[in-house]
Amino acid sequence: MSRVIFMLTLRQLAGQKRTLLMLLFAALPIAIAIIYRLAADETDRVQFVANGLLSGLVVAIVLPLTALIFGTAALGAEIEDGTAVYLLAKPIPRWRIVLPKVLAAWLATSVLLFAAAVISGGIVIAGEPGGEVVVAFGVAVVLGSLVYCTAFVMLSILTSRALIVGLIYVFLWEAVINSLFKGTRFLSVRQATLGIADGLTSISPRDFEARLNGSTAAILMVVGTAVTLWIAIRALERFEIGEST
Amino acid sequence: MTTLAHLPAGEATPQPFVVGHAVEVTKVSKWYGNLVAVNDISFGLGPGIHGLLGPNGAGKSTLLHMLAGFLRPSAGLVAINGKSTWKNPEMYRQVGLVPERESVYSFLTGKEFVIQAAQLQGLPNPEGAAARAIHLVDLEFAQDRACGGYSKGMKQRVKIAAAIVHEPEVLLLDEPFNGADPRQRLHMMAMLKQMAADGRTIVFSSHILEEVERLAENVLVIVSGRLAASGDFREIRRLMTDRPHTFTVRSSDNRRLGSALVADPSVFAIELDTDWVKVSTSDFAAFTLAAPRVARREGVTLFELRPTDESLESVFSYLVKR
Repeated sequence: MSRVIFMLTLRQLAGQKRTLLMLLFAALPIAIAIIYRLAADETDRVQFVANGLLSGLVVAIVLPLTALIFGTAALGAEIEDGTAVYLLAKPIPRWRIVLPKVLAAWLATSVLLFAAAVISGGIVIAGEPGGEVVVAFGVAVVLGSLVYCTAFVMLSILTSRALIVGLIYVFLWEAVINSLFKGTRFLSVRQATLGIADGLTSISPRDFEARLNGSTAAILMVVGTAVTLWIAIRALERFEIGEST
Repeated sequence: MTTLAHLPAGEATPQPFVVGHAVEVTKVSKWYGNLVAVNDISFGLGPGIHGLLGPNGAGKSTLLHMLAGFLRPSAGLVAINGKSTWKNPEMYRQVGLVPERESVYSFLTGKEFVIQAAQLQGLPNPEGAAARAIHLVDLEFAQDRACGGYSKGMKQRVKIAAAIVHEPEVLLLDEPFNGADPRQRLHMMAMLKQMAADGRTIVFSSHILEEVERLAENVLVIVSGRLAASGDFREIRRLMTDRPHTFTVRSSDNRRLGSALVADPSVFAIELDTDWVKVSTSDFAAFTLAAPRVARREGVTLFELRPTDESLESVFSYLVKR
């Protein structure tokens, strides 16, 4: 892996306006948690955290959108503005370009998501048992970030419309198709993330139950990351830069 | 070797492949669906400066991208130092590339940008190599400023510094003088000439004829995806036997000389003015031999004998119109 490319990508991601937007976006669950505590509702806090705040907002919306923004920007932005040439015209195997790009996007996404999950969940749970649920979701979003980021880096190499394709995956495939056809859960990063969270806790099925069990979710995550990473590397090896790029 | 393709006949004359050329292009074509961008081109390039010239859309950028390993040829082979450029990242140890697009990492300083290039090349002393390259392009005064604030000419220079930081054997430049002011242009030309003198192979594309004329020892003229001509442009002009050459002659008695020259078999038209005689000939070499002989016979002193349509612009416009 190239440390130079990893650091370059982190600086790129940190310097973008969209990163500030993502920071605000990641603060949304925290704001909702504060509102929940202020409203002092008597609903089951664990159920609210697991079923509502973390699975419904953090895992279903904040995680895929943050990963989409960072994942498609990590290499896609350079392909779009032409600076990718300065990496591709170097004597380095393509995996040493793809891997640091994925890791940088993963680090940026997972730091934001872990903080969003743990802080927002912690605010709601504070003073009550059920902290393990928050930690389980924290770990799950970190692992889910890796699969999403790898997939979105792959998309940015395969198509110049990665953002649109990514949005279709998140909002059509994962949100609509998954809810209509149960069998498609095996091709859903969201379901795998929820499966990991479920597998790491002894939470009652009444409060939260994922469609995939923990070990299946872990296998799917490993396979998903490996396959998308392999496709991304292969695609970059065959990547053509024409006159307009 | 200078070659001139007879495009109307439909067949380009490939320059024979010569073993030992740093850059080898062998029967290369590139097409996108039904559109043929590059059509059966062959040439070999050794040390020196080679100018890639052609009208917009002629295929020169496509060719340069194939040389740089960024486009896969649809047919044929593009090789540098005997190895295919496609899917061969290792070749960038010997190759430097200056892309046409202005974009650089705007948040990096010029120095960081060049050091990064040196690090990615795996050089043992990236800082030292970067300092040398920045000095060569005369950008030390701005090396600590962010590239985003650079002028167009400064961006060109920092791109060149990054491309030469590993002292490549082959340097590919796509429109390298874009945005450079005349002083910077002269500086870059001198630098490239020095690199060529050191035995490096430099290939650059340009739409500015004057640049190619001043810099390139060898010109490759690409027209409609084909190699229309290659070699020294003056030699190319001389091979265009189907188009008359014109000379401006000044002498002690232009009228007398003109009358005598018109009788020479190599001359087929004369235009007389008070200060000069304009002579059209179909045989460049025969006329240059005949003119002094006729002048001596007629007792006329020759002050000047100058070909008037040997400029690259003249050669280029002729090839493009054929």
